[in-house]
This record gives sequence, structure tokens and C-alpha cells, in this order.
Amino acid sequence: MGTAVERIVIAGGGTAGWMSACRLGAWASSTRRKLDITLVESPDIPTVGVGEGTWPTMRDTLAEIGIDEGEFLRSCDASFKQGSRFDGWRTGRGDDSYFHPFTPPPAVRDPRQLVAAWKSGGGSFAQAISAQQDVAQASLAPRQRSMPPYAGALNYAYHLDAGKFAELLRRHAVGLLGVTHISDTIVSVEAGPDNEIAAIHMRSGRRITGDLFIDCSGHSALLIKGHCGSEWIDRSAQLFNDRALAAQVPVEPGSAIASQTIATAHRAGWIWDIALPGRRGIGCVYSSKFIDDSEAEQILANYIAAALPAAGEVKPRRLAFPTGHRTRFWSGNCLAIGLSSGFIEPLESSAIVLVELSLRALIENFPSDRATMGLVADRFNDLFTTRWDRIVEFLKLHYVLSERSEPYWQAQRDPTTFPARLAGLLELWRQLPPSTYDLPLAEEIFPAASYQYVYYGMNGAAPADLPKPGAELIAQLQETAQRRRSLLAALPTNRAYFDAMAAEASRTLENQA
Amino acid sequence: MTRHAILTSDEHRDLRVRVEPSAELGDAVMSAFTVPLEFRRIQHDFPILFRRDDHGDFSALALLGFETGENLFLVGDRWDAGYKPLSLSIQPFLVGRSADAGGSAQVHIDLDHPRIARNGEGMLLFEQAGQPTPYLERISAMLDELDVGYRASKAFFAALNRYDLLEPFALDVELRDGSKHRMVGYHLINEEKLREFEPGAVAELHSEGHLMPIFMALASLSNLGSLIERKNRRNGHV
Repeated sequence: MGTAVERIVIAGGGTAGWMSACRLGAWASSTRRKLDITLVESPDIPTVGVGEGTWPTMRDTLAEIGIDEGEFLRSCDASFKQGSRFDGWRTGRGDDSYFHPFTPPPAVRDPRQLVAAWKSGGGSFAQAISAQQDVAQASLAPRQRSMPPYAGALNYAYHLDAGKFAELLRRHAVGLLGVTHISDTIVSVEAGPDNEIAAIHMRSGRRITGDLFIDCSGHSALLIKGHCGSEWIDRSAQLFNDRALAAQVPVEPGSAIASQTIATAHRAGWIWDIALPGRRGIGCVYSSKFIDDSEAEQILANYIAAALPAAGEVKPRRLAFPTGHRTRFWSGNCLAIGLSSGFIEPLESSAIVLVELSLRALIENFPSDRATMGLVADRFNDLFTTRWDRIVEFLKLHYVLSERSEPYWQAQRDPTTFPARLAGLLELWRQLPPSTYDLPLAEEIFPAASYQYVYYGMNGAAPADLPKPGAELIAQLQETAQRRRSLLAALPTNRAYFDAMAAEASRTLENQA
Repeated sequence: MTRHAILTSDEHRDLRVRVEPSAELGDAVMSAFTVPLEFRRIQHDFPILFRRDDHGDFSALALLGFETGENLFLVGDRWDAGYKPLSLSIQPFLVGRSADAGGSAQVHIDLDHPRIARNGEGMLLFEQAGQPTPYLERISAMLDELDVGYRASKAFFAALNRYDLLEPFALDVELRDGSKHRMVGYHLINEEKLREFEPGAVAELHSEGHLMPIFMALASLSNLGSLIERKNRRNGHV
């Protein structure tokens, strides 16, 4: 068992597969580690490709992979995401909207101070403590083109075309990082000692051996379920959306590009709206227990007709999805990354960030030989089981404070559907704001600020006895207000940013011609 | 080519100004106009020289290079000094006056200036409600400073004339590559003359507030050496 871990086989070539190839390839080349990476991709299986929202971690990931930000933005038709806006989640009335920005509030020891400062001023929580809401609402970019790559005046992530993203990663992995790409379909798995994977057999007759197999085969979970038998933990009792209709609608040149994901609640779920320079990805997430597909189609059509009257008739793609995750993400010498490891509604864009976090955990704990792989795997499984719990809790938080009266929303706030830890936190938050004490892990997936933005955005109860905000915080908030004015004046609109970027790219091409 | 307009929040609500240092945007200049009020900030980086115009009136300038269009503080798209002279920082704005005598200062803008943004990038001048943005507030303060400084400079130059303190000088610059450049048409403060002043004259200059800028201008000449070094570096001679 003392053999080195050098041959990595990645099964599947969607976003997860190619991100795995790029991250591992870039890591191996920058650390001069001997790593032989092969990605096998079936030509017959289309990728799911709906994950189009990211977290700010994506900037680090892309920089680590060695992809230029401008090239990424251009080739993935990407745009900037500064957070999420939730419309209609609390009451469903016209003024019902709150913002979850990526920029954290001023750092204060006692978060009750933040709540006190917000309560003493008025407006929404996010608006009182961060400049980002107004900047994003004005469809401004979080950065100027003259800034260094991956740097911003405000924290940001991206919206992207997942198909183009996988394609960019593939070019990078194969062209620059020495990853071997095999287009072939897996037909069987050859077991080694202890039921580890010795090799995979391909339709062409080829046999591919490896030390570590990364299962990026999507919902089919060919290796982690098919071979390793890692069970599925169903979480649909807590989060019961199980269907989505996904549409893509082209937009007019010159139209504003929203700087946040917009999630609009409807009577039995919610609608995502993700703006790219050339199109909007709009989809309806719902629970089939409460409405049928045709009702959902009507809800989606109504939304598109109101948002983009020129769109005409749109044919959405229909998706059914389970909610849950594996008991073991890493089993033997097989690690599941991406949809094979679990799936949950895309409410906080957790799909791609989980891929990034899985790869970070793999790389930072990379087992040099097979002897320690089991220990690393156990740790990985503990960490990601906790992360999935956190995701379920955090997503559920979006629903539990709603005052909407439809049966779906009543069911969502039935306490028997609450994860136990969340139920406790909701009790606690009446007295103490969400804080890092709720999130004691060094590697928490969502910061305390995210819980604050959602909890107070949904009008969660604030502590009765609030301290007087300290002079330091008041000064910080005044600075924030001044900064808001400066940023509103200094940042270009997303549209201006991407038009100028495209114009510069075509000038550069002309000069080269 | 210039096209001046009075800046108003109605007409220029969506106008944006490019603020990045750039040769294309008008920063490729060998000198920048300055006023005695600004000398303290100028003298840290730039030599202060004087020039006489066709009417015989003097003005002060910060020297940035040795040839027309040469700005040795502009390194690519970076401003390589801790300070940028007001007269460059305010572009494309200028101080205008209403027609009536003693009219109040107005902010004017040159709409044909290359700093006027055409593609939606750059600084907005007005907030949506029509209030000036923090950027325009800063510009207004700088314009005001230049205007006040310009008007105060008349007394300064009158005093220098009265004591005949400005003398023509020619600067011979020899570069490390052996080339020689002679710069003519500038004036300097005559240090010898200043040194021999009667206490009464010094007191008078002091009471009028001119002594400080005189010494700032004299001290600024120590930057000539480092400016020549910049020129040598740009020529590839370290």
C-alpha cells in the first residue's frame, strides 16, 4: 500500500471534471509534483451546464489555474456578480426585496452593534452597512478595467456560460497543463484489493489504470455509487424543490446587465435570473408536490414576458433533481466532485463553489502515498458532511421566516422540516445576532455575514437589548456612506465595461492583423 | 481644439471624465502651470521655474521634462510622483467667471478634451439626484484653490519685480550619453540678491506672505538633478 499517488483519472468532462483537471494540473506544475492526469469524457453524454453563478472564491481559483481574467470574461460570456437579490420571499408584495452582497459588513467584535447601528438609521440591513447594494442595483461593475486582474473595489464573483467555461478549462488543461483528454465511454470498473478501483474499461477496449479516481460523472455517479456503493442521503424533507425549468433568453445590445443574481419567489418555489452580456439565464425552481410542470411553465412564461417583453415564446429545458448528498464523498481511491457528490437547488450557487472547495481540500491534504489515503478520506468526508449540513441549513433559512400564505410556503416553515441545528439557531438569534460563534469551524462555507444578510433581510427578530453603537463603528459606517457615493461615481456600468472590453479586444486583433 | 461650456447638472448628468494618467489624455507635457500657494506641495518633486509671457507678465511652472511633450513623471500609465500638479489634476475643467464684474467663479469644462469619456468609463460628475459626486467636489476644491492662488500670485510677482529678484537663466543639461541640451527662456529667483537683502525688505516680503514661496521655489531647484537622472534612466543609462 506504500505506493505513490501519481496517476489521477477524472471521469467526466463537465465543469467539475475540467475544473479538477485544471486545478490539479496547475498545482502539479507549480509545485513540480509528478502527477499524470487523464480525463475521460463520454461523447454521448451531454453536460448539465446550468450552474452559472459562482462565489468570489472563483477569482482565486482562476488565478491559481493561471487563466487571465480578461480571457475568462471574454471566452465565457461572463459578467460580474456582486451578490443575490431576493424578491418576494417575505410577503410577495411589490416592495418585498432584500440583498445579500458579497462584501462583508465592517468588522466589529459584537455584531449586536451592527444591528443597533442599522436600527438607529433605517433602510435595509444590507444598505445600512455596505455600499454594495446600491452599486449592484445600479448595474455597475465592481471594478474598473484599469485595476489589476482579479482585484475589485468591491468583493465579486461571476455569472458565466457553463458550457463555454468547461470549454475554456478544457483548452487550458489540454493545451497548457499537460492533461490527457480521452473521448470514450466507461463500460466497466475493474476492482482491485479492498474494492478499490484498479482501472476503468472503455468502450474502445482501452483499460485506464490510476491511483486516484475522481468521479465527475454527474448525477449518474458511475464510480462513487456504481462501484463504491456510497449511499445517498436524501435531504428533500427539508428542502423539497425537485424540478426546474431552465431557459435562456437573448438580450438587446446595450441593455443593462444586472450585477446580482435575482431570485424571485413564486407560489411554489422561485425563479432564478442570471444576466450575461448576451443573454439571461432564467429558470423556474419548484416542488412537484405543489404545482405541476405546466403551472410552472406558466409562472416562468409570465416572468419572462414581464422582464423581457421582446423575448417571444421560450422553450425551457426540463430538469428533475434529487436533493441530497453521498454518505461518503471519498471512498477508497475514489473521490466524488460535483453533482456525483450531491445536489441541491441552486439558491446560493453552491454547486461550483463546492467543486472549488473539494479541490482545495484535496490539494491541501493530498496523500503522497496510498497508505495515508484512508486517513485523508475520513477527514474529507467529515468536513464535507458538515458542509452539506451547513448548506441545507443556510438554504432553509431563506424560507423559514417567510410570511407568504400559499400552501408551499406554509409547508416550508413547518418546524418539522427544519434541520435541528437551524431550529436552535433561530431560537438563539432572537437574543444574539448570527455570529462566528454559530460557525466555529476554521473552514466554514458561508460567513456569519451571509446569515446576517439573509436573516435580517427576511426581517428576522433582532435582540431586544441592543447596545449603543460605538464611535468606531459609526465612523466606519459614515466612511461606508462616503465610499458608496465615490463608487457610484467611479464605477462603469457592467454594459459599458464589457462593451469597452470587447472594443479593446477587436482593436488588438486589428493591430495584429 | 477646445469647446468650453459651463458645467451644469442638467446638461452633464451622464458625462464621465477619464482620470487615469495617460499621454493620450493630455499628460505628455514638459511643464505644468502652478501658483505660489501650491509651491509647498510642488517643491517636493518638481523644480519650480518662472516664465515671462508676451505681455511681460510672469507665471510659475513645475518642470516635468526637458523637451516639448516629455513628461518624465509619466511612466507608461503610471504617475510616478506622490503629487500631481493642480493644473493637470483639474483637466478637463477650468475656472470660468460670470460676465458681471467681479463675477463669481464657475466650473467650466472643455468638452473636446481627450479626458471626456466616450465609452461609459470614467468618473461621473453628478449623482442621479443632481448633486455633485465626491469627484466633482474634489475638482471644485482644486479649481477654487487654483483660482485663489492665481489671483494671489499677482502680488507675488509684483513683489519679485519690485525687488528685481527674477533673472533669466539657461539650463545646460548634459546627459550620460554625452548629449547636451540647452533650455532657454526661463527665469529663476536670484539667490545672491536675496541673500544681500536689508532686514526691512525681508520683513516686507515676509509680512506679505511671499518669503515662504520664494524659499520653496529656491529649494525646489534641488529636484533638477533628480529630473536629469530620470531623463538618463529613460534613455537607458542608469
